[in-house]
Amino acid sequence: MAAETEPGEPEKGKPFKLLGILDVENIPCARDSVLYGSLGSVVAGLGHFLFTSKIRRSCDAGVGGFVLVTLGCWFHCRYNYAKQRIQERIAREGIKNKILYESTHLDPERKQTNSNNQAVKQIGVQS
Amino acid sequence: MAYPSQLGFQDASSPIMEELLYFHDHALMIVFLISSLVLYVILAMLSTKLMHTNTMDAQVIETIWTILPAVILVLIALPSLRILYMMDEINNPTITVKTLGHQWYWSYEYTDYEDLMFDSYMIPSEELKPGDLRLLEVDNRVVLPMELTIRMLISSEDVLHSWAMPSLGLKTDAIPGRLNQATLSSTRPGLFYGQCSEICGSNHSFMPIILEMVPLKIFESWSSSMV
Repeated sequence: MAAETEPGEPEKGKPFKLLGILDVENIPCARDSVLYGSLGSVVAGLGHFLFTSKIRRSCDAGVGGFVLVTLGCWFHCRYNYAKQRIQERIAREGIKNKILYESTHLDPERKQTNSNNQAVKQIGVQS
Repeated sequence: MAYPSQLGFQDASSPIMEELLYFHDHALMIVFLISSLVLYVILAMLSTKLMHTNTMDAQVIETIWTILPAVILVLIALPSLRILYMMDEINNPTITVKTLGHQWYWSYEYTDYEDLMFDSYMIPSEELKPGDLRLLEVDNRVVLPMELTIRMLISSEDVLHSWAMPSLGLKTDAIPGRLNQATLSSTRPGLFYGQCSEICGSNHSFMPIILEMVPLKIFESWSSSMV
């Protein structure tokens, strides 16, 4: 969320909010969803009008297209965003653990090479 | 912390608060779409000359506007329940701090290893130093280690209070005769401000809370110096 600017920093100004509630600048995926929804609305409305020449019904189709396309883009984008956050968290933990445990007995890379060596020895013994 | 004329949430400093922010974005998008649809329907109704006075039923539209809100509510409820259960996950806190609400100050007890207890009074406006925040500064801050899970046991010695920390997504009532538990975890160091959130008398607005999240070593030296 936007914080107050420190003195000396350029002013960001009030964030732009659609209908006074949706902060499209700072909410992830909001801007893309609304833009794709607008595009979908124009396509649906114009397409309906081209086929039927009915203005009011085409406007209804446009609004319906806006809602459906915005929702669809929103869920798709948020799902991918959530997956990305989880991957970032796993990567961050992995980097932290690597730095913490490198060259100690808890080093996961050392455990992996040890288990590989043991597997090779077992195969040698069996043969 | 909060800034003047703020409308939205403070920046998140704990994983739970981050999840709450994302859920809020999700719910707000749905609210925005419903509001747009209602606005359009109002405009459409007002701008037509058509009138039908003999409508007896309208099965299709009635079905649609029964099932669709139910689906929308399910889409809101599922992430909400997910966060609700996430808040109650068992996470083995490393330290327990007790906080007691009084009229009109908070007291804190760190009794895991040694007996450390102190009161936290608001600094009156007349005694503030330049740069201090009015009605938010306290004489003794709650110093805690960052990036560790901390159990807060919250209660009260007299009337109802509420221990709130917006940037960590915490608000727990302090009820006399009852122990409430909250789990606290901060992802970064710094000062986090909160205020009493249950009306408790004339100075209800003047019992703030400041959490000072520091690295573990600094916390250890602080607690040794305080004992």
